[in-house]
Amino acid sequence: MSKVYTWDQLFSRRLFIKGTAATAALGATVGMGLLRPKSNLGQGSSDQSSAKGVKHVTTICEQCVWRCGVIARVEDGVVKRLEGNPNHPNNLGKLCPRGNAGLETMYSPDRIKFPLLRAGARGSGLWRRASWDEALSYTAEQMQKIKDNYGAKAMMFNSTDNLSQPFFEILLKAYGSPNYGTQRSLCFNAMTTGFLYTYGTPQPGTDFSKCKYMIFAGRNLAEGISNNETQEMIEMVARGVKVVVLDPRFSKTASKATEWLPVRPGADSAFFLAMIHVIIREKLYNETFVKQYTQGFDDLVTEVEEYTPEWAEKKCEIPAATIRRIAQDFAAAAPAAIAHPNWRTSNFVNSFQTERAIAVLNALIGNWAKPGGLIPDQELSTAKLGVLSHPAFPPAQGIRLDGVPWQYPMVPLAYGVIQTMRDNILTGKPYEAKGWLISRQNPVLSIPERQKTINAMMKLDFVAVIDIQASDTAYYADVILPESSYLERFDGLIPIKNKLFIRQPVVEPLYDTKSSLMIYKELAEKLGLGEFLPYQDEKDLLAKQLQPFPVALDELQRLGHYEVKNFKEDHSKDFEFQTSSGKIEISSSIMAQMGKKAVPTWNEPPRPEQDHFYLLTGKTAQHTQMFTQNNRWLLEVFPENRAWLHTSVATKIGVKTDDEVVLESEVGKVSIKAYVTEGIRPDCIFMVGGFGHVSKGLKAAYSLGASDSALHKTVTDPISGGSALSETFVTVSKA
Amino acid sequence: MTIRMGFVIITSRCIDCDACMVACRSENDVPLGHTRNWVKSSGVQGQFPKVSERFQPGNCMHCDNPPCVKVCPTGASQKRPDGIVIVENKKCIGCKYCLTACPYDARFSNPETGKADKCTLCLHRLEQGLEPACVQTCLGKSRQAGDLNDPDSIVSKLIAQYPTRILLKNVGTGPNIYYIDEAVPEIPEGK
Amino acid sequence: MELTWGLMIVIYLFAAGLSAGAMITSNLSYLYGGQDFQRVSRVGALITPFPISLGLGVLVLDLGSPFNFYQLFLTLELSSPMSYGSWLILIFSIFSIINFYLWLPKKFQIVGQTLQLEKGKKLLAKIMPFLSVGVASYTGLLLNAAVRPIWNAPLLPILFLVSAFSTGVAAVILIATLSPWERARHKELHVLTMADVGLIILECLLILFIIVMGRFSSDSESVAFGSLLYGHYAWIFWLLIVGFGLMLPLLLEFMELKNKIPVKWTWPVTISSSFLVIFGGFFVRYIITYAGQTSSWF
Ligand SMILES: Nc1nc2c(c(=O)[nH]1)N[C@H]1C(S)=C(S)[C@@H](COP(=O)(O)OP(=O)(O)OC[C@H]3O[C@@H](n4cnc5c(=O)[nH]c(N)nc54)[C@H](O)[C@@H]3O)O[C@H]1N2
Ligand SMILES: Nc1nc2c(c(=O)[nH]1)N[C@H]1C(S)=C(S)[C@@H](COP(=O)(O)OP(=O)(O)OC[C@H]3O[C@@H](n4cnc5c(=O)[nH]c(N)nc54)[C@H](O)[C@@H]3O)O[C@H]1N2
Ligand code: SF4
Ligand code: SF4
Ligand code: SF4
Ligand code: SF4
Ligand code: SF4
Ligand SMILES: [Mo]
Repeated sequence: MSKVYTWDQLFSRRLFIKGTAATAALGATVGMGLLRPKSNLGQGSSDQSSAKGVKHVTTICEQCVWRCGVIARVEDGVVKRLEGNPNHPNNLGKLCPRGNAGLETMYSPDRIKFPLLRAGARGSGLWRRASWDEALSYTAEQMQKIKDNYGAKAMMFNSTDNLSQPFFEILLKAYGSPNYGTQRSLCFNAMTTGFLYTYGTPQPGTDFSKCKYMIFAGRNLAEGISNNETQEMIEMVARGVKVVVLDPRFSKTASKATEWLPVRPGADSAFFLAMIHVIIREKLYNETFVKQYTQGFDDLVTEVEEYTPEWAEKKCEIPAATIRRIAQDFAAAAPAAIAHPNWRTSNFVNSFQTERAIAVLNALIGNWAKPGGLIPDQELSTAKLGVLSHPAFPPAQGIRLDGVPWQYPMVPLAYGVIQTMRDNILTGKPYEAKGWLISRQNPVLSIPERQKTINAMMKLDFVAVIDIQASDTAYYADVILPESSYLERFDGLIPIKNKLFIRQPVVEPLYDTKSSLMIYKELAEKLGLGEFLPYQDEKDLLAKQLQPFPVALDELQRLGHYEVKNFKEDHSKDFEFQTSSGKIEISSSIMAQMGKKAVPTWNEPPRPEQDHFYLLTGKTAQHTQMFTQNNRWLLEVFPENRAWLHTSVATKIGVKTDDEVVLESEVGKVSIKAYVTEGIRPDCIFMVGGFGHVSKGLKAAYSLGASDSALHKTVTDPISGGSALSETFVTVSKA
Repeated sequence: MTIRMGFVIITSRCIDCDACMVACRSENDVPLGHTRNWVKSSGVQGQFPKVSERFQPGNCMHCDNPPCVKVCPTGASQKRPDGIVIVENKKCIGCKYCLTACPYDARFSNPETGKADKCTLCLHRLEQGLEPACVQTCLGKSRQAGDLNDPDSIVSKLIAQYPTRILLKNVGTGPNIYYIDEAVPEIPEGK
Repeated sequence: MELTWGLMIVIYLFAAGLSAGAMITSNLSYLYGGQDFQRVSRVGALITPFPISLGLGVLVLDLGSPFNFYQLFLTLELSSPMSYGSWLILIFSIFSIINFYLWLPKKFQIVGQTLQLEKGKKLLAKIMPFLSVGVASYTGLLLNAAVRPIWNAPLLPILFLVSAFSTGVAAVILIATLSPWERARHKELHVLTMADVGLIILECLLILFIIVMGRFSSDSESVAFGSLLYGHYAWIFWLLIVGFGLMLPLLLEFMELKNKIPVKWTWPVTISSSFLVIFGGFFVRYIITYAGQTSSWF
């Protein structure tokens, strides 16, 4: 048995950089410094220093899920700089702060550098180094044991959106488990189901370039960055387009907007229903469009009759005159007007209704497939990759732990309800879960009620995590399978419209790590499922994906992308709505079938009691989710999260900016610095998520700021499965 | 006409994302704890719900009359004929005099080199025909750099078209970052 | 801005001033005081090289690239006070060491003939006052050139000059009083004390002028001076500088001059008052160096 390390020892630079002065330096110094350990550890044979001169490698960013094009400058085997690829539609040559900080992700001293097996109690932070063979064999053994003893369903597979996710799904299906957990229900279930049940497409695009009137209800493009859309939003503002932002706090998008409406949290749907009321009342809708493409308009007319702006004012606390004016101006700008579908809209149980109201509002003005309006599903107009041929999957055994569809009949199977999966590990109902394989996800921080998630992990027989660093989730695992960072590996190809893009290694892996493509494949082999992932190595797989196209892999690697010749965008199906009626369903057939009100309707959201506050969450431009807080370059520009308090609240409890405050909810309590501002409703407190890490393996981030997941109650919308993150109320006091 | 390199920064286009700061750190190996450029915020002004916030990116202003150059005892700080103010590391003794003399606090003492450090306008990139890193990555196209004396440059065209302001005019440094606060719907084509 | 120049620079500015002040005290006593003032001249001459060497030492330590120090002396940048100041201080230091040697007791003067040495003394006594004025006011010009609120006060070099002489005189008094050997007598001390009183009064006036001018100048400067009067640095300004550094020694020295001090107290009072002057002089440099940096233009 090899030596047992604590996290501190594991991540001390000295262990890796023997004999070199380990300065906490940057760029060149870090790069050079970190190239050494590999030879020290006697791994591999590729000598980095032999690669001379400067080269440029085109690849794809993975600092968030947006997949921007990157050109890496490599000097003598050290990546010196990442720059945006001007040929990539997702970023138009520019990288956001996180994309610019990708080098620090790769060269971070806290990377996991070889497979680890737990050597103490779970969460004790004691580990021993394992070979890949040992770690994978152990993982496969445990998974097989669970399958043999409890059935495949006792094993859960989790992964958040990434380029190799399709191959993870193959592994899951080959293994035969029905239990698959993605981030979706924490993220955009309200939007996707809302639009799916209206338009038959979950996520229509938005034509920013020609839009003349935009309403964002929470979508915060200046901070929740989607690179090209963020740029387009800025251009829109610069052009003088009317941009209305509904947000209980003054976000950076709000600071750029023409109008900021500090809506009462959870009451957005009152605003949109009243807009619909005005538009119908004043006959501002597009009658021909409504007649031709929608169904259920008359039910809507009846439903919104009482939703006057005056009524809405009492609910959403936006003046009736403002709502009326915006409705009129919005309709006047039609069809180049958009009520944005938003994104992480899981704020309240009624967010599904908000999204439905937004979907319907857009339909009323007929902005579908019009310049400046909503864009039909783009997937139809995307090049199709070659697929692997493999045997038929075994039928998945048993019902799903996440309650879809038996508890949540309306949640699409592909979306799932991850928080219920977590809860059911704890309840053991409808059956006991035993094992968890988690790839590229950090549920300990991303699912509400952090403690519950940790408890769930503690209860299981076996947990394996595939990550690049000691995430909070990896910290509680039995096995950590270290993936190569995105700059050191291949992933599945990505088609965007008529172009194919590739993620490829910019340098050879610095440590003893593998791509998830290989980890999944080798794990499948050890499980006797090798035929489901039939490729030799990454290149072999990519060549198979490339088969339909007359281009060789090395050509694609050299150019960074391939443009499909004579590609025609297919707009023939733009008006074939994939709903049961084939129309835009103002009145949803599925809702009707389920015996629910079929048109968008008002559901009163809860209000905090006396001395309690809404707890709002959201992104900051400088960090990604629960992932980049350990990136020191990003910590330089956003060192920790703080609790936003309105001035009047701060005065009342006697705190100033940067004083420590204690926030307490029904399920948790945290201490955090205050940020006192006029830019938030006095009944709200806002925190950026992703801070408050519990993993001691994240040296830079450990214990910085606080986690709102420690405070969040688990509240799930029964229709969309969305986790209602803002239905948690907190008290605040001076620490 | 001589070259006069400088910046135009359009504050109305800045979303305070700090991509420019990370890009500069990466491009120029700026050590942790220091930065060559910044984005300042006005803070949230006004009273709820009538509030506003403005962002003002900045870096060395490559002044026409740079006090940092004037005070440098060794001639390490120099204003080049193209207007770019640089530090010649070989000559710099790290006395930090220039740091105190810069009214924009645009310089820092680099703990790794022991020298004064500051924005070089990414001279090494300009030489290869590339834009400065911060300009290249700016999501809002808020940062622009170029020859202020060349009427065909983006910066000159912007200055000709929009009202501009400079910082600390009264100190007499003649800074070469021109700020535009108005909305700029389109960045003109140019060099 | 964050503090760029810290205690090291304060010590440098202070020490350079102190040496210059002690030097000029020594020179003038020698030139105009005649035989009676030999003792104080000697004390002055013997102490001068030390503070300035210490100052130069810490200055080099404070450099980011100390081994590049020689770059200072490969050029003369006339626009940079630090450049001509360094040359000035270099020459001053060399001469002060020579002067030191010249004033050593005979048994230590192993080279040179007595007569020549005496000549040298006289020559140096005539040159050094100019260099001393240069060195003392240079420390003010140094800050002056880095155009910051407070630092750019036009009277700053004069203030530093006066303060330097005052600390120099006080240092001579202090050492001459403490010295077990060639201890100064009442008569000389009386004259020096008189000079110091004059300097302190002048210093008070200068500080008053500088503050009044600053307060009536731009907003930035007004705010910067506000930090001295009632802001962050107010306690140092009022207590350490005005109270302990100016008023108290002024009072004590005044009483000494008026012979109001009982004999058994004269020794401690002389020591304390001169010590307080030095102490105050240090904090004058401190407060100006620090407050000038924490201020900014707007
Ligand atoms: N920099 C950065 N960019 C990212 C990400 C990141 O982590 N960092 N993550 C990516 C991902 S996965 C996603 S899902 C998107 C999310 O992108 P967005 O959905 O745009 O962003 P969020 O910050 O999650 O939430 C937006 C806002 O909702 C507000 N809000 C809270 N409750 C309510 C309410 O009841 N009504 C209204 N109208 N507003 C409310 C919050 O104050 C917050 O400002 O961002 C993506 N882009
Ligand atoms: N309080 C609060 N909770 C939230 C949100 C919020 O705003 N506030 N937002 C919600 C939203 S919108 C979403 S999408 C979810 C996201 O929830 P998750 O998907 O759980 O969170 P991420 O931070 O994206 O997790 C990414 C994990 O992948 C690891 N990782 C990064 N790069 C790689 C790689 O190249 N390979 C591998 N194998 N691993 C890698 C990171 O170290 C990290 O552990 O969180 C949700 N939860
Ligand atoms: S938005 Fe930023 S972090 Fe996300 S992929 Fe693009 S550059 Fe990378
Ligand atoms: S901004 Fe500062 S560092 Fe830059 S040239 Fe002007 S004075 Fe010098
Ligand atoms: S730190 Fe270097 S560049 Fe600055 S003044 Fe001193 S010698 Fe000149
Ligand atoms: S021009 Fe270059 S050195 Fe200057 S701030 Fe921009 S990125 Fe940094
Ligand atoms: S990159 Fe551009 S938009 Fe972002 S903070 Fe910098 S200047 Fe502003
Ligand atoms: Mo998300």
